[in-house]
Amino acid sequence: MDVIVSERLYRRRRLTNGLALVLSGIAAIVGLFFLGWILFTTLDRGIDGLSLAMFTEMTPPPGAPMGVGGLLNAIVGSIVMCVMAVLMAAPIGIAAGTYLAEYANYSKTGAVIRFINDILLSAPSIVLGLFVFVVLIGMPRQIGNALQDTTAGQAGGWLEGMANWLIDISGFSGFAGAVALGFIVLPVVVRTTDEMLRLVPIQMREAALSLGIPQWKVISKVLYRAALSGILTGVMLGLARISGETAPLLFTAFNNSFWNIDLGAPMANLPVTIYQFAMSPFENWQSLAWAGAFLITCFVLLVSVLARTLLLRKKMSHD
Amino acid sequence: MTNVQIAVHTNAATPEPASAAKLTTRNLNFYYDDFLALKDINMVVPEKRVTALIGPSGCGKSTLLRIFNKIYAIYPKQRAEGEIILDGQNLLDPRYPINRLRSKVGMVFQKPVPFPMSIYDNVAYGISHYEQLKRPAMDERVEGALRQAALWDEVKDKLKQNALGLSGGQQQRLCIARAVALKPDVILFDEPTSALDPIATGKIEQLIAELKRQFTILIVTHNMQQAARCSDYTAFMYLGEMVEHGSTQQIFTKPSKQQTEDYITGRFG
Repeated sequence: MDVIVSERLYRRRRLTNGLALVLSGIAAIVGLFFLGWILFTTLDRGIDGLSLAMFTEMTPPPGAPMGVGGLLNAIVGSIVMCVMAVLMAAPIGIAAGTYLAEYANYSKTGAVIRFINDILLSAPSIVLGLFVFVVLIGMPRQIGNALQDTTAGQAGGWLEGMANWLIDISGFSGFAGAVALGFIVLPVVVRTTDEMLRLVPIQMREAALSLGIPQWKVISKVLYRAALSGILTGVMLGLARISGETAPLLFTAFNNSFWNIDLGAPMANLPVTIYQFAMSPFENWQSLAWAGAFLITCFVLLVSVLARTLLLRKKMSHD
Repeated sequence: MTNVQIAVHTNAATPEPASAAKLTTRNLNFYYDDFLALKDINMVVPEKRVTALIGPSGCGKSTLLRIFNKIYAIYPKQRAEGEIILDGQNLLDPRYPINRLRSKVGMVFQKPVPFPMSIYDNVAYGISHYEQLKRPAMDERVEGALRQAALWDEVKDKLKQNALGLSGGQQQRLCIARAVALKPDVILFDEPTSALDPIATGKIEQLIAELKRQFTILIVTHNMQQAARCSDYTAFMYLGEMVEHGSTQQIFTKPSKQQTEDYITGRFG
């Protein structure tokens, strides 16, 4: 009797197991199918625009015949702004993450900062773009205009100089674009640094501190070394995240049809160029937009794979 | 039981003469937040001898060990009251510089935790914080520490390799070398062999017997045979109190308290 009951139970469990396996398998296939479709479409449509000229020629004027022009200014502008954003945000983010993990781990302040950082992490990027627009473009212009009004009639004073300078810098600029992208990278780096440092076993801190070595030295010489690949992964994921961001650049770097590496002026970039070209009626622009989309997709894929490899290497060296 | 007796006999064959007090605790209480974990501990740790702390899990022996170099202080809401005298000074006095204390009282942990750097750098890291040494002098110090930890012969050809590649027992001896390299007065061992196999354990125990010529040693162990084999003095703790403290021979052969006898004969704990 007992045996029959357990046999029935066993069969039911096997059935449930099989069902769960099939359902999760289907879910995985559906997800992969769409990912594959997206990759295939960008490749299929972008292949016409993919050529050496893409990397050597500027964006073409509207209506230029098929095959004329490339994306050089947009590619370079994107690289300049992304690199600047990472260079600005990564040190601040690593420092903040270190504070959270090592100095404020047990405190209420730490919990509050962590919570706020998570909000920043999920803030819509267009909001960050608007914020940077207001702070770096709107406010200097307003203050400059107000100063000009008060100094009207008495030219040549230092106040007037300052007013002119403020109005001068208050325009779309590559710098503003980099700052907006930096605000997206910042919370990613804070979060991963915090988490990766907290993954370092507490015994390593105890062992290092028990040698009588001060905390800052323990953090910089021992803990950073243990968490290095994880922290680098965070920075790279941040880079992957911003390389395709369009919204924060619309109000900050805007776009530029010409070659420009002056950070004080509007700067060309891939996402806004793709947006603009894809919406246009010109076939040449559309095919360049697809090529740009393919380029960004490949870049994100590459960075993600690199980040994965880094983490995997770290895991192996620990076991 | 027979094991313990045999071990006691071997230890009794070389009785150590009495020595001066290195560490003295007076009315020592310890709190985890509101919980009183150690109650009025008064004990003397003799210089250049091995003192073992034994007792069932949760009795406070690791807690006591961790007070001697104030490693507990890195956690909030843990505090110690009373006095611990080291060379005439109360180390629980907040004015006592904590990093100087830790350079005098080294520690080896339950799980070996080499730093993520080369074998050489693991040992040199601590030294370079205290002394500016030229390369040859540093080489000498690192070799000396590794020799003291009985690890030199196994690693002398791979000093530049990552320390994480060593076996568990080798890693633990590297951690001992790291502690010894700072030339401390006292070394605290917190269950140093509980993560190791019997052969690695044997090597560490041999090492402790060597090291006591130079250092005062305190060891927390769950293993009573280990306490009997390698300590000169043993303290038995139970529920945060020091039940009995005396020479290892006396504790294991004629304990004065019933609780101690029950514990060492395996009737509880």
